[in-house]
Amino acid sequence: MHAVAMEQLSKIYAGGKTAVADMSLTLEPGEVFGFLGPNGAGKTTTVKVLNGMLQPSAGDCLVFGEDPARNPEKVHALSGVMTEHAQMYNNLTGMQNLVFYGSMFGIGETESRKRAGELLRQLELAEAAGQKLSAYSTGMRQRLSIARALMHRPKILFLDEPTSGLDPESAHNVNQMILNLAKEQGMTIFLCTHQLRYAQEICSRYGLIDEGRLLTVGTLEELRDGISSGMRVRIQADRVPDAFLKENVCDEHEKKKTEAEIINFAAEGKGTEIRDLTLEITSEDEIPCIVRQIVEGGGKIYHVSASRPSLEDIYFALTVER
Amino acid sequence: MNRAISAIVKKDMREITANRQLLLTIVIVPLVLTLVVPSIFLLSAHFAPQEMGELQELMRMMPEEMQNKETEELMVTLLFDNILPLFFLIIPIMAASVMAASSFVGEKEQSTLETLLYSPLTVKQLFHAKVLSSFLFSMLVSWISFLAMLLLLGVEVNVLTGGMLILGINWLLVLGLLSPAVSLIAITMIVRCSAKAQNVMEAQQKAAFLILPVVFLIAGQFLGAILINALILAGLALILGLLACLLLKTSLRKFSGEMLLGNR
Repeated sequence: MHAVAMEQLSKIYAGGKTAVADMSLTLEPGEVFGFLGPNGAGKTTTVKVLNGMLQPSAGDCLVFGEDPARNPEKVHALSGVMTEHAQMYNNLTGMQNLVFYGSMFGIGETESRKRAGELLRQLELAEAAGQKLSAYSTGMRQRLSIARALMHRPKILFLDEPTSGLDPESAHNVNQMILNLAKEQGMTIFLCTHQLRYAQEICSRYGLIDEGRLLTVGTLEELRDGISSGMRVRIQADRVPDAFLKENVCDEHEKKKTEAEIINFAAEGKGTEIRDLTLEITSEDEIPCIVRQIVEGGGKIYHVSASRPSLEDIYFALTVER
Repeated sequence: MNRAISAIVKKDMREITANRQLLLTIVIVPLVLTLVVPSIFLLSAHFAPQEMGELQELMRMMPEEMQNKETEELMVTLLFDNILPLFFLIIPIMAASVMAASSFVGEKEQSTLETLLYSPLTVKQLFHAKVLSSFLFSMLVSWISFLAMLLLLGVEVNVLTGGMLILGINWLLVLGLLSPAVSLIAITMIVRCSAKAQNVMEAQQKAAFLILPVVFLIAGQFLGAILINALILAGLALILGLLACLLLKTSLRKFSGEMLLGNR
């Protein structure tokens, strides 16, 4: 059984705005899925449709075999949801809030307190457990919301921008916690974010969305393969063969044409011009060939580094294509 | 899911008692209606019955067996059997309105409604839990006000006239049937408004209109136009009870998470 299955899912709001368009996607249990896109792309709407808060305009969706449009309460028993609009009570303490939401899932007070204590400790909120929520900072509220979504030990966790408003250390800790939940408890994670860098740290598969449409789905490798450029090498050298500034770098490899581009042209030292080049290559095998050609041409190399396209690069490549 | 429903009721009660401003609103109205106003009335009837000449006309409209009573005794009877029971229609409307507005629209205002909707309770169960907490709260306020009034007026009547307050059937009908029925109507009306209302004030303003028919009924007592009796009260209780059930049922049909949250 799929953890999530969407089939040509669409959501058009009453005003006519299409928030989700013809989306088909499946998630396997235990997957950490990054649902990525800018603000207003349709991520939150998708989460709301998957949890029965909104009715789909067309198409179907199932969460662990349950239809959220028909039986939202059955989906809620399986899922933990953290979104910006799902807040908690300001006049209750962190602990009281968690115990209250625990009881909403039928968990007894003693067990709720035990679970809440453990989650507060893991999310570094143990000291603030007795403080009213009104005294919490944005980051603390964000972490308490994650704790709330985990109180009933859901099979699937929907997180909408869980690291926004968190300092880098807290964001890293939250990411580690999410990763552990998937690894140790086999929890499925549906992570919506526009912070592509944090997503790349933990997700096993990604779906890129823009204006309600799913642009692509796959692992990082699959996404890299899907865009035209696979890899880049950056070289800083004082003398560069003209060939690099024009077209083919390594004809003998018979790989696709690579383009050399002068990213920066800097003058350093006494009359020594160091060129800073970024070349698009198809594999690491081309790097020794490039280096050899520069050295044989009498050039001195100051820096060589290879990099693969990040999620951000892939995302921009895909949105430019559109 | 009884645990969840009782958790919502407890949480709502705790929330309203923690909000001093709301609590003050809820305490002041019953305090004035059930303790201050009747005490002034009783003291005036005892110390300056001639000042209450305007009421002579009303007294002539009372049943014959009552007209034989002393003015002061008659005033106490009129106050206790005809006027005060109607105050116990205002109190539950007011308490239920404040509570329902705060517990339903307040959840929306604080962005906690969505969190509640992510629970494994159906919208129907959530609706029931919210109506229940408002209903219990309004009944609690009514009963506490009644007991406080009974105690104070009992002492006052005893000191001033040496007599005793006797509870008539009107009280049983008001507290047992009418008061719960108007309370339910008020809650349902507020909850129906809550889908559109964006803040507590807006919902409360809409509920204020519910007081009007009760005010007319009270004015009717003073003017002698409609003097309440057990039959009128029983009839009203029946009609309002049916109306409350009908409103509850039709409201529930309209509710869904999407409707409550709007298109955020």
